[in-house]
Amino acid sequence: MNQPAPYAAREVDPLVEDFAARRPAGLETAYGLWSRLFVSIAHHALGDRARAEDCVHDALLRVWRAPNRFEGNRAMLKAYLAASVRNEALAILRSQGRRDARELRAARLVPETSVDPPVVDPVEAERLRAALARLPEEQRIALELAYYGNKTHVQISEQLGAPLGTVKSRIAMAIRKLHAELAVSGEARA
Amino acid sequence: MSEHLGDDAELYPLGLLDDDVAREVERHIAGCELCAERVSAGRTVAASLASALPAVEPSTALHVRLREAVRPGTRAARPPASWNAWGFALAAVFALAFLALGWKALALRGQLAADDLALVTVVHSHFNHVSMTPQSANPVAAKILYARDGSWLYVIADKPGGTLRALAHTAEGPVDLGVLATSGRTAGLLVRPAARVESLVLERAGITVASATLVYGAATTSVPNRK
Repeated sequence: MNQPAPYAAREVDPLVEDFAARRPAGLETAYGLWSRLFVSIAHHALGDRARAEDCVHDALLRVWRAPNRFEGNRAMLKAYLAASVRNEALAILRSQGRRDARELRAARLVPETSVDPPVVDPVEAERLRAALARLPEEQRIALELAYYGNKTHVQISEQLGAPLGTVKSRIAMAIRKLHAELAVSGEARA
Repeated sequence: MSEHLGDDAELYPLGLLDDDVAREVERHIAGCELCAERVSAGRTVAASLASALPAVEPSTALHVRLREAVRPGTRAARPPASWNAWGFALAAVFALAFLALGWKALALRGQLAADDLALVTVVHSHFNHVSMTPQSANPVAAKILYARDGSWLYVIADKPGGTLRALAHTAEGPVDLGVLATSGRTAGLLVRPAARVESLVLERAGITVASATLVYGAATTSVPNRK
C-alpha cells in the first residue's frame, strides 16, 4: 500500500499554510469548511441575513489583509476566524445601538432551548451541551448570558445582582473548564 | 511583560472587553506566549459555543464576493475584443422586443438594415431566455438571454433602481460577472463567461433582488426559429 498520509496527520496543514501566506486557496478552503459557522454566528448577533453576510465578508477580509500573519493549527484558525466574525458583529451592534433589542431575541436561543432548528454542528453541539451541564450553575448562566445573550459583563452583573468581578471570574472559570473538557477531541474535529 | 493577564484572557475571545482593554490584551499577547495560548484556548471554546447556534446557510453571493475580493487581479469574464458587443447587445434588445411583441412583429424585419437582420438571426436561433424571479421587498424585473451552448449571456433589467451587480454560479465555481450598465430606464450586461453559468442572482446594495436558474439545450423557452 502506498497511500498518502492522512490530511490531518501531515506536518504542515496546507490550509493553514495557504491562509498564512494569503493565498486565495486558503480563504477559499476556510470558507468552504466554516462559512455556515461564520454566518450563523453573525446572524445570531445581528438577526438579519444580509447584515450577517456583510459582517462575515468584512471580518474575513480584515483578517485576510491584516499585517500579522496567522500562526497556529487548523483548529486555532477556525477559532480565530470565528472570534473575528463575532467581534465584528458585536462592534456593529454597539455602533448601531441595537444591542438591547437583539439581546432579548438572542437570549432565547441558548442551546437548551434550541433543539428544534438545525444547529451549526450537531455532534459538536451535543458535546458542548454535556460539557455545559457539568459546569456549576452560576458559571453556566453567566457564560450563556455572555455568549448566547450577547450581554456585556456589566449587564450580566446587573441582571444577576452579582458583583462585576464575580461575574468576570465566573465566565473566565467557565471558559477554562470547558476548554479542558472539549480540548481532547476538539482538534481532531476541526 | 511584568504580569500575566487575569480573567481578561478568557473574556477577550468572547468580545466582552471594552475597546481600550481589548487593545491592551492584544499588545500583551503579542509578547507573552503563555497568555496568547490562554486567549487561543478561549477562542476555541467560543467556536464550540457557536456550534449550538441555529444554522444559517450562507448565500452564493457571499462566496462570490469573497472570492473576487481576494483575487483583485482577475476580472470577470468579458466578451473578447473581437466581439461587436454593442451590436450584439442591440441584437439582444431586438430579440427581447420580438419576445414581447410576438412573432408578428417580425414584419418589422423588412424595415431593418441588412446588418441588423443578420445579428438578429444569429441571436434568435441559438439562445434561450428566462425571466428572473423577483427577490426581496424591493425586487427588480429582469430577464436573461443566454446561448444554448453557454458561450454568452445577456442580462437586462427594467427600472434597476440603483446599481445592479450580477453574480453567477458556474460549473467551475462562483463568479462576479460585474455591474449592469444603466441606459435610460433599463440596465444591461453582456458577458461571455469562461464556464457555463448555472444560476445567476442580481444584487443591489448587497441585497439579492432577482435570481434565476439557467436550463440549457432546446428548452421550451427558446425563441422559435421560424421562416
